[in-house]
Amino acid sequence: MVAGEVPVDDKAKRMRDLLSSFYSPDPSISSNSITNPSKHDDINSDSFDPDHYMNILAHKSNLEGLLQRHVEMAAEIKNLDTDLQMLVYENYNKFISATDTIKRMKSNISGMETNMEQLLEKIVSVQSRSDSVNTSLFDKREHIEKLHRTCNLLRKVQFIYDLPDRLGKCIKSEAYADAVRFYTGAMPIFKAYGNSSFQDCKRASEEAIAIIIKNLQGKLFSDSESIQVRAEAAVLLKRLDFPVDNLKARLLEKLEQSLTDIKLKPEEINNPSVDLSPSVSAHKAAVHEFTEAVRAFRAIFPDSEEHLVKLARDLITKNFVITEEYVKTRICADDLLGVLRVIWDDVLLIDEVLQEAALSNNSFEAAKVVVTLYVRSAFSHLQQDISDSLLKILIKDGGEECSLEVVLDASKKGVLQGGMDVLLDFRKILDHDSGILVRLRESIIDWVQEGFQNFFRQLEDQFLQFSGKNKPSSIIDHGLAEGAQGDKAFAGLVLVEIAASFSGGSARGYDYGPAFVPGEICRKFRSAGEKFLHLYINTRNQRISLLLKKRFTTPNWVKHKEPREVHMFVDLFLQELEVIGNEVKQILPEGIRKHRRTDSDGSSASSRSNPLREDKLGRSNTRGRSQLLETHLAKLFKQKIEIFTKVEYTQGSVVTTIVKLCLKSLQEFARLHTFNRSGFQQIQLDIQFLRIPLRETVEDEAAIDFLLDEVIVATAERCLDPIPLEPPILDKLIQIKLAKTKEQTSIS
Amino acid sequence: MQGASSGIGYGLKYQARCISDVKADTDHTSFLAATLSLKEENEVHLIRLSSSGTELFCEGLFSHPNEIWDLVSCPFDQRIFSTVYSNGESFGAAIWQIPELYGELNSPQLERITFLDTHAGKIKCVLWWPSGRHDKLISIDEENLYLWSLDVSKKTAQVQSHDSAGMMHKLYGGAWDPHDTNSVAATCESYVQFWDIRTMKKTSSIECSHVRSVDYNPKQKHILVTAEHESGIHIWDLRKPKFPIQELPGHTHWTWTVKCNPEYDGLILSAGTDSAVNLWLASSSHDELNESQTDSPTRRVDPLLKTYSDYEDSIYGLTWSSREPWIFASLSYDGRVVVESVKPFISKK
Repeated sequence: MVAGEVPVDDKAKRMRDLLSSFYSPDPSISSNSITNPSKHDDINSDSFDPDHYMNILAHKSNLEGLLQRHVEMAAEIKNLDTDLQMLVYENYNKFISATDTIKRMKSNISGMETNMEQLLEKIVSVQSRSDSVNTSLFDKREHIEKLHRTCNLLRKVQFIYDLPDRLGKCIKSEAYADAVRFYTGAMPIFKAYGNSSFQDCKRASEEAIAIIIKNLQGKLFSDSESIQVRAEAAVLLKRLDFPVDNLKARLLEKLEQSLTDIKLKPEEINNPSVDLSPSVSAHKAAVHEFTEAVRAFRAIFPDSEEHLVKLARDLITKNFVITEEYVKTRICADDLLGVLRVIWDDVLLIDEVLQEAALSNNSFEAAKVVVTLYVRSAFSHLQQDISDSLLKILIKDGGEECSLEVVLDASKKGVLQGGMDVLLDFRKILDHDSGILVRLRESIIDWVQEGFQNFFRQLEDQFLQFSGKNKPSSIIDHGLAEGAQGDKAFAGLVLVEIAASFSGGSARGYDYGPAFVPGEICRKFRSAGEKFLHLYINTRNQRISLLLKKRFTTPNWVKHKEPREVHMFVDLFLQELEVIGNEVKQILPEGIRKHRRTDSDGSSASSRSNPLREDKLGRSNTRGRSQLLETHLAKLFKQKIEIFTKVEYTQGSVVTTIVKLCLKSLQEFARLHTFNRSGFQQIQLDIQFLRIPLRETVEDEAAIDFLLDEVIVATAERCLDPIPLEPPILDKLIQIKLAKTKEQTSIS
Repeated sequence: MQGASSGIGYGLKYQARCISDVKADTDHTSFLAATLSLKEENEVHLIRLSSSGTELFCEGLFSHPNEIWDLVSCPFDQRIFSTVYSNGESFGAAIWQIPELYGELNSPQLERITFLDTHAGKIKCVLWWPSGRHDKLISIDEENLYLWSLDVSKKTAQVQSHDSAGMMHKLYGGAWDPHDTNSVAATCESYVQFWDIRTMKKTSSIECSHVRSVDYNPKQKHILVTAEHESGIHIWDLRKPKFPIQELPGHTHWTWTVKCNPEYDGLILSAGTDSAVNLWLASSSHDELNESQTDSPTRRVDPLLKTYSDYEDSIYGLTWSSREPWIFASLSYDGRVVVESVKPFISKK
């Protein structure tokens, strides 16, 4: 409670408190709300104890104070009295006014009821009036409606009677759209009454419509009309229930027919002698026409896309098929490019009009096929060329051995030049910037690489075939065999050379083909070369082997006569070697002459020289069990000599290998027979004679010496009585033979 | 170059060409090897592989009157074998029996059951009926093919029928088809020829030159393997005799002999005069392989599994053991028998 407010509000507050205490049922609450801090002092509180209060007052105050207090109190009481009086009065006042109001209301309500009754009466009378008006007007209204309907009908009949005239007018003014609208409007009536009342009318209008249809058709088919007009005509025809699909089919047919004229003639495109412009421009014009037609068609028949797409695709496919055929004949890259460019242009043009056809994708696929085909055919032609040139040379100079070099050169040139040309061609294709090829570039590179690998593999196969074919006929057809045998070696060489040029120059042709591994191809070539070399050695060796076999199987070695001269097989053998040497000389480079004894390079085949051969020959009569043991022991300590070392691409290496193989064969043949003394001596003589010329031809003297000795040892082992010829006799016989050969060569 | 050899060695005293598996011995892995000595007394060695498989020991040593060019153990009696021998001038063939009490004798003599004497050309080899007890034998000499009927108990052998190979051909060797016992293959200069022994007539031939050795695949019908001097090993399907179904490169020098494994299909051994034995794996599905070969030769797997090169001289004798088919014995010309196991290659299959 704010102290400052007390004097102002004191009175009002007390009033309020009194009132509330009066109305409040619970005095404690109200008393609580006005709690005085000094309970017993507060006169207004319930717990006021007058005695106590008086006591305190009497105790605390002096007389003056008490008197003052008395005065105050008397004033307060007076105030309270007036307040109370005022309250009572006010209450009374309000009560009186309330009573007055109620009295006034009562009198007002009693007057209203009569008014309401009057109102009801009036409404009822209004309703009855309106009903009577309604009934009196009903007949008239119906009549009016009937009249109106008749009027409409009459107007319609009028329209129908006028229809033929109107249609005629429309035809005259070419307002076909109006005509069709009129006709379709009249249609239901004709349908209902056409057979009775309006027969004439119907016939006349139908005739008019027939004319209209004809005119519309004419319009549709005439190319001179604008597309819009034609489209409108189509729409109108459709509205007239005319079978538009037939028309569409016919139009499509026409279009198709015109398409057959757009036939690609690749020969003409690329024939420089003929003036380029007519055929190309004709083609262009045709394609242009086609695109125009397609555009028109799409406008006229919006639902015909499917057919159009099919047509366009057919066209492109046809063109590509033609191109494929064309590619099968021999063409160069420029030709292919020309054709592809034309097709691509067409495709772009058509694509503009017909995007749904996805022609570019389609043609992309087709172009893929064409290019692959081209790559393949290019390689096959290249191969054909090479084999042709080979065959030609082979047939021409089949008999002459000296032509080997020519063959080698020719085929080398063929392979290298051809390969280069093909590469250049492909390069051209790659460099071409026509859209389709740009997209194909990556795959083209792949194809070319693949093609190359295939090509070389096939080349290898072919060479193999060449050599294989000649194997059985080598005896019959020496000349050709020789040539073919030469092939193998030169093929090996050529391939190696190509390999080299590839590893060096691969950057030249293939700078954008990182996937291309020249090393891999090199490796392949090298292995192919090795194969051919082996094949060559093998076929050569087979011939000599045959010679040796004949030599050993013909005579009866057990009853052999004293050796009088060196056997002639030696001559044949040396001759063969000479031939091989000549062939090899033409093709392979001369190797460095090596005298190797300990040089072992990875051969698995080996043998040990027999150190006892001299001894054995000397006292072979006493050879026994212990001696074999001795041989074994000695072998263990003797240095191993490699017989079958790796063949290298040198003349010496090849010849040496062949000689080694032959000597080993000689040894094996000797082991299969039993000799008497003379037979042994004959072999000894022959081998001794061979020693000198062989040493001259081969590069690995030690191995050859060893092998020659082995032959003699093998013969001695198979000899019942191995007593060698005395060295002087041996020498003498060899000298005789040498003199004889010299004589022969001088004569010839 | 293959490093230390795992093979078990055994030495004959003289040079030797032939070794044979003793098929009829089911308790031990045994081989018969024979020497080829022109001047000394020749021997037949009965060699047995110890049960531990680590040692070869001589079970019997028998002297033989002539040098032996071919020896085949009888497939039904381990004590019987045939030899082809030469006394230097002429060749002959005989059936021998190992004496019953040889363990107790010092130098036991072989009992000769009978000669296979035809008085004809140079005899090359004797073939026994492929398997089981049968009285039929075939001998092949240079010109003729003889079918014999052998009676062991009576110690006789009689020629039942014969056919000549023709003037131009010199027979070299042969093989008896284990799948069709009426068919025998014989090799000559430029053909492999086939006889039907019921009619004793030539039935067909395969053209291939210089066949040195021929062997039927015992696991697969119609498959024949030939070894040629110069051009390696060819595998033939007899139903398609025009071209071999597979070619293996063979040896650096002549491929002398070729043997199919009796148990594991496609496993082929070859021995050659380059002092090496090669172990090959021919693909069992030949057709497929043929196609893939033409497709891309690069994809071809190397059929050569292993080269055994720890020999000093040419190898002429080669045989699989039929009792332990992963074991083979080889005999080089210097008289050294080497027994090797191919187990590591079988497990790979």
